Parts: sequence; C-alpha cells; structure tokens
Amino acid sequence: MTTRRVLAGAASVVYTGINLSSRSIVQHSYCCSSGRRRFSTGKALHTDFYKDLEAQFKAFRQKAAAAMPSSDWNPVELTPGLPPERTDVLIVGGGVLGWSIAYWLKKKERIRNGIRVVVVEKDTTYSQASTVLSAGGIRQQFSLPENIYLSMESAEFMRNINEHLSVLNEDPVDLQFNHSGYLFLASENGAAIMEENYSTQRHVGAKVTLLSPTQLKEKFPWINTDGVALASYGLENEGWFDPWTLLNAFRRKAMSMGVYQCNGEVTGFRYSTHPVTADGDSIDVKRIKYVNVRMPNSMEYQPVECAIVVNAAGANSGKVAEMAGIGFGPKDTMAGIPVPVEPRKRYIYVLHCPDGPGLDTPFLIDYSGVYLRREGLGGNYIAGMSPEEEDEPDTGDLEVDHEFFKEKIWPLLAHRVPAFESLKVTSAWAGYYDYNTFDQNGILGIHPLVNNMYFATGFSGHGLQQSPAAGRAIAELILDGNFKTLNLNALSFQRIFSQQPVLERNIV
Amino acid sequence: MLKILLPTLMLFPTIWLTPKKWLWTTTTAQSLMIAFSSLFWLKWASETGWSTSNTYMATDPLSTPLLVLTCWLLPLMILASQNHTMPEPTNRQRTYLTLLASLQALLIMAFSATEIIMFYVMFEATLIPTLIIITRWGNQTERLNAGTYFLFYTLAGSLPLLIALLILQKDTGTLSMLLTQYTNTTMPNSWGSKMWWAGCLMAFLVKMPLYGVHLWLPKAHVEAPIAGSMVLAAVLLKLGGYGMMRMTAMLTPMTKELAYPFIALATWGIIMTGSICLRQTDLKSLIAYSSVSHMGLVAGGILIQTPWGFTGAIILMIAHGLVSSALFCLANTNYERIHSRTLLLARGLQMILPLMAAWWFIMNLANLALPPLPNLMGELMIITSLMNWSLWTILLTGLGTLITASYSLYMFLMTQRGPTPNHIMALEPSHTREHLLMTLHLIPVLLLMLKPELMWGWCF
Repeated sequence: MTTRRVLAGAASVVYTGINLSSRSIVQHSYCCSSGRRRFSTGKALHTDFYKDLEAQFKAFRQKAAAAMPSSDWNPVELTPGLPPERTDVLIVGGGVLGWSIAYWLKKKERIRNGIRVVVVEKDTTYSQASTVLSAGGIRQQFSLPENIYLSMESAEFMRNINEHLSVLNEDPVDLQFNHSGYLFLASENGAAIMEENYSTQRHVGAKVTLLSPTQLKEKFPWINTDGVALASYGLENEGWFDPWTLLNAFRRKAMSMGVYQCNGEVTGFRYSTHPVTADGDSIDVKRIKYVNVRMPNSMEYQPVECAIVVNAAGANSGKVAEMAGIGFGPKDTMAGIPVPVEPRKRYIYVLHCPDGPGLDTPFLIDYSGVYLRREGLGGNYIAGMSPEEEDEPDTGDLEVDHEFFKEKIWPLLAHRVPAFESLKVTSAWAGYYDYNTFDQNGILGIHPLVNNMYFATGFSGHGLQQSPAAGRAIAELILDGNFKTLNLNALSFQRIFSQQPVLERNIV
Repeated sequence: MLKILLPTLMLFPTIWLTPKKWLWTTTTAQSLMIAFSSLFWLKWASETGWSTSNTYMATDPLSTPLLVLTCWLLPLMILASQNHTMPEPTNRQRTYLTLLASLQALLIMAFSATEIIMFYVMFEATLIPTLIIITRWGNQTERLNAGTYFLFYTLAGSLPLLIALLILQKDTGTLSMLLTQYTNTTMPNSWGSKMWWAGCLMAFLVKMPLYGVHLWLPKAHVEAPIAGSMVLAAVLLKLGGYGMMRMTAMLTPMTKELAYPFIALATWGIIMTGSICLRQTDLKSLIAYSSVSHMGLVAGGILIQTPWGFTGAIILMIAHGLVSSALFCLANTNYERIHSRTLLLARGLQMILPLMAAWWFIMNLANLALPPLPNLMGELMIITSLMNWSLWTILLTGLGTLITASYSLYMFLMTQRGPTPNHIMALEPSHTREHLLMTLHLIPVLLLMLKPELMWGWCF
C-alpha cells in the first residue's frame, strides 16, 4: 500500500517538475483534465508557474539542504516496524509458547527459508505477559498422562538447552534450572488420589517417590507434618528456572533462523465463510485470509495475508478468538461455543526469612493450595496461592492485594513451616493465568470451524513448563499434519465441543 | 495482418467503454475471436517465404507459431486474472486489461516485424507494460526488486544490440529481414567484429534467459500476478529465442566458433537450474527455474544452427510456452485458496481437489517431456543436434532430462500426494473457469501432437 503511494508520488513529481505543494498538483491536473485553456486574456490561471518560480526554487533548496547526509529526512515515508504484507504462518502472541512454536517451525522446515513465520507481540516490554511473571516451576506430578509427557519432554529439552538453542558467537543459555523437585502434601482425603497419581506418573516414567509423614520429617525437618497423610516428591527433572531466559533463548534462536518479529497488536481478522454440508446440515466454516495488525500508539494497521494463524496469545486468547468470530453462533450449536480461555489474576509474594528452610527447599505445595519455593541464595522465598472460585480478583489491572497474603496465605504457611511465623514481605507482583474455564488444561490443535487457526493456549498456570514440547507439537501439526512424537489428541478441541472435560487434578 | 492487429487495438475502446457488468465477458470474447482468426496465418503460401505482408510486417513459418501462441494466450490470461482482480475498483480492472492488451499488440508487432529496428523497438516496448504489471499488481514488497532486475538486465543486454544494429545499417544499408538473410556480412576477423557478434545476441540471450544472466527470471516470475507470469513464461521468453533465430541468419560464419561458450553455458545451465528446482521451497519459483532449464535447451538448439536444432527450438518454445503457463495457472489456483506458495504448506491436495490433481499430473508429465507430446519432440531434436556437434553434450543433456523428470515428480508429489494438512480441509471447490483454463492450455498441445508440421519452421 505504501509503495503504491510512493509510486504515485514519484509519478506526480515527474509530471510537474519541481512543483512540490500538493495543492498546486491538484489544481494542475484539474486544469489538464478540463483541457480548455481560454485564449482570452481574461482571468489569470490559479497557478502561475513563473510567479511561483522563486518560491519553488526556495522550497527546493530547503528540501535539498534537509536531504544532506546528517539529516534523517526520507522522501519515502515508510512507517517503521510494519509487518510484512504476507507471510505463511502468523503467530499471535510473543510469549514463550509463541516463540517456542516459531523456533520449532523453523527447526522442522527441512530446507532453508522453507516457511515464513511472523510473530506479532503487542508489548515488547512484556510488562503484563504471563511468561515473565510466572513462578517458573516445572514438574511431572500431574494426573493426566499427556501433561506428564509434555513436562518430561520439556525438562529434557531444558536440560540440554544449549544443544537446541545456542547461537553461534553468542553467549550460551543458562536457565538457572534448580533441580530441587516438587513436594506435594496430601491430607487424609487426598491421599488416595495422590497414590493413583503416583502410579500414573511412575507408569509414564516420571521419577517420583511417595513419602510417609515420618520420612517427610526426616528429610525435611523444618516441615510441620501435622495433617499430612502422604507426600509426593519429585526426584528428577523437577524444580524451577528463569522464564525470562527461556523466552529470550527461544526468541534469539528463532530470530537467528529467520523468524520475523513485529511489534503490533492484532485487532481483527478478515476471513471468508462458506457453508460446508455434512449429511444434510450446513456448517459455516471460516478461513482467515488477512490478519489486521495495528501499530503501537497509532491507528495505522497492516493487513497481513497469511495461510495459517496460531493463537498463542495467553490470557488474551479468548479475545483473539472472538475476533475470528468464534462463539457467536446460535446457543446450542458448535458455532456457539466460545474458546473458554480467560485471564485470571494470581499473586506472588517475595518473602525474606533468614531462619527459613534453607537450600534444600523443594517447591512445596500444601493440600490447602499454598505454594512456596526458594528464590536465590539469600534466604528469600516465593509464595502464593490460587484463590477460591468466589474470591477471584478483578483482572482489570495487575495491582497486588497484600491483604490476601496476610489473611489467607500467611496462616497456612506458618502452620506448615513454623520458621515462617516471622518473615518480611519484601516485594510482590501479580500476573495472569491463561485460565481454561472448561477443564484447566491446555488446548492444542486446530479449531474445527476456523480452518486455519491453531490454538496453543489455556494452560492455566502450567504453560511455561510445557512450552518446548507444546511448541514442537504444534509445529508437527502444521508441518507434518499430525502429532509425531507425543500423541496429544486428548488436548484438542474435540473435548470442548463434546463437553467432556479432561480434568487435571493437580492444578496449583 | 491488419485483420488481427486492428481488432487487437480495438480492444482498448472495448475495455474502456464496456459497462462493468460485461467487461470481462466482452474482452474474453473479443480476444478469443482474435485468437481463432489468427489461426488462418497457419496457411502459408510457401514453406520458406514470407506471406501476408505489408510494408513493415509479414509472417513466415518461423514467426507464425509464436504469433498464434501470443494471440491464444490473451484470452487465457484474462480468464486467469478474473478472480484476483474482482475486489478492485473497475477503473483499475480496466487498466489491468489495457496493459494486457497493449502487451498483446506490441508482441504481435514484434513477431511480425520485418525491419529489425521495428523488432527492436517492440522488444523494448514490451518491457513497459510488463514492468507495470509486476510492480503494481504483484504480491509482495520484493516486487520492486524484481521489477528492477527485470528492467535493467534486459536493458543492459539490449543497448549493445542497438549499437550493433546501427553498425549493420551502416554496412549493409538496410535492416529489413527480407534482405539481410541474403547479404553476406563478411566481417574482418577482429575483436571489434567479435564484439559486434556478441552485441547482436546478448539481448536475446538475457531474455531467453541464458544460465549466467538468468537471475531476473525467478524474481520476476514469482512476484508477478498470474497474467504477468503467464505472459512472461509463455511469450516474452520466446521473444529472445525468436530474435536469436532471426539474427543468427546473418551472423554466419562467426557463429561457428563464437557460440562455443554460450552453448556450454546453456547446457550447463540445464543441470544447474534443474538441481536448484529440487531444493526450492516456493512453488512458483520452482516453475520459474524449470523455465530457465528448458530455455537453456532452446538456446543450445538455436546456437547450433542446424535445421534440426532450429526446428527443435521452435517446437520446444511453443510446447513449453503452453505447459509452463498452465503450471503457473495451477500454482495460482493453489495460491488463491491457501494464500501461500510454500510447498510445505500446500500438500496432499489430491484428497481434496481430485480433478485439479488430474491437471497437475498431466501438466507435470508434459513438463518432463513425456512422449508423444511435442515437448519430447523438441527436446529430442535439440539433443540429437547437440550430439552431432559434440558427443559429450549427451552427458549434460541426458543428466538434464533425468533431473527434469525428478523435479517434475517432486513437484507433483509435494503438492498432490502426502498427508493433507488439517488447515486446508475446507477449501473452495474448483471453479469451472479454472478447468476451462486448463483445457484451453492442453488442447493446443494435444492438437499439435497430431500435426507438428505447423511448428517446424522453415527447416523441414
């Protein structure tokens, strides 16, 4: 579009010589098209070339002076940062999942420049992105085998991260992966479930062990085992890492492989609809043709023509799906089911307690929902809790509610770890979960009604840890047509349409 | 001659004065009528002389097949462009059609020119509408780059041609093709005359394109809209071949030695560009490089200067024009549905669009010169005449045929076979217009199979 303006602009400059003001260009062409110039000496022309000549020369000299090497005047007014006019795959959202998908797409392309990928991120400072505000834990202690597989493969990826994500001549990636393991505590009610989960996890291959209260007390003397019937401790591939490093590693590697990053916001889609009949009934299937990407702080937008759109927008995935018209059909039909992802605000508090548990603190998760992990080597810890359904905080902003800590978290924390009766909250932040209101598990796959939109969202708090394997899964779907390494069909859209939730029992 | 040229020029009032509702129908109908009436050119008075002549234009068995190809292609281009220009305002559609029609008129005048300067002027003039089509209606930002490459490669090759023609005019006093084939230009054996020889042929070698100067072609073909790709592949490349055939008639005996490096480049180019095809990720780019490969064979055939070489060259030009243009149309049907030309994304289409898969199959077979199609006839004649010149060329051309077969198969298997990705399950079914387009491409090829004498030029 801009090029057309440029060419037209160039053409009009050629027409009228050094006449630079647009008003005289318009009037000049007006005279030309009316064609008739009177031979009489009556009214003078609107634009007299010779009278304006001096002014024109002066304007030309000024413009030439401005074009001298030290000025940044450019005759072609291009908006910097516009995305390309067409691409093959457009990934909405530049979080860890978006960049993971971009990296895996480029890794699997088989020939250099085999596929064109653009990642659109609306906030490159990542001030509200879920990735960087995450606690950064990784665990295999899930109840759903698919979740366990995803985390296991991701942990393997991250342990060998420099094999995958190192870039020539750049610093190696150091994720600061603390392999301290997760420690889940169960009360009497939950002990049976924990045992079932344990057997699933062992069956799948996760290295987890069960601890009785006495064993727990031996291993971690600072825990108060009151009310604890059983504990499950991860021995390998569990712990926490730095999410910002992982995000930047993916991003740096993907950009070195040729992925284009655009700083803009997706504001709409242009799609074509056509009815597809399946035994008599007709369903409207949409196909996205263009994605409207709006530039930051501007009204200007660029329609990007693309073949595939990947929705990895995290907490905003529901809104992006609405832009594609998902969920606006009649109530009891497939077309009426929206994508059930919405943002949920969660708080994390940084505590300082010099007499705290010390270096061997695992990522402790109590049966009440309180979690705690060590942060660094200076006696700092991170704690948080998912509130009850009724007490969900307002997601309008990321302000922290310190009362929540005082009223809800601290008593439980102090009960479980007596050393925490005296501590200081040094800082706190809030972030969004991309919460899947249906069954709190990720949605991986193509939407049946929008033929070229893939979803990789809704992980509800365990997206960061599953991002390498989930990114690979989406890349396999796009390039190979089907899952190749992990069979994640249980996490597809099918379950949402048939209203059969795939519940994860260990949601933190 | 004027019976065809005037209706072509009258396309301009048709385009600008028809109401919007009938625009495409009338232009398609008029160009189709022109195409059918151009067929009468195929009835020659004699097999070697010029006929239907007026002072400046005449047709002979060399130019007639190319003229008929040009006239035949215009309705096909208009059919192919209908879909992607639909969302544009009417005046822009009219402008697009004007560019196509002007290209047609200039090409008719170029192929039927008897005065070499007129041929030169028309040769250059065809650059302008093509440049406008590529840069204005192309799809991506690289189209500016593509237009620049296209323009400047061709211009840089053809300015020496102008000088060479002026020298020729000074020496022989005439530049009419009717006369220059009889004047023996005995140039002294000096560097100057060698450069004159090169100047005469460089423009056409760049246009063909020859392997070393072929860089403009993949860019121009990929960035052009469908009608631009069609006319580029089918006709504009043949301008180069036709020019070479006319010029070499008066360049003997120098050609016997001076053509050596160019024949080597052309045959080496067959293998190199064929191998590049095997590594392409973009479908249109693959078809563009296959055009370079086939044109390398044509260039070799022309520079050999034997009757079989010339005949093979003309046959391959006509057959390749139709088949390559058909492949671009198929790639466009893909692109209009999926909006991507990447081979990795548009796969397994046989499951969804089986009739289109049949067309893909036939066109790919034609591309790899399957007998009894005329592509094979052309290739065989050129290969045998090259072998007559030097036995070692069989290594290059034989390997080239093998590579051509493998990338044609690769193109077919990548686009049609294999797992169908989930994101192209719901595509628009094939339009009748698309099937009609493919039929109109295929029918001349099949008919020419039955009467190839129409294409043999004056050499048989």
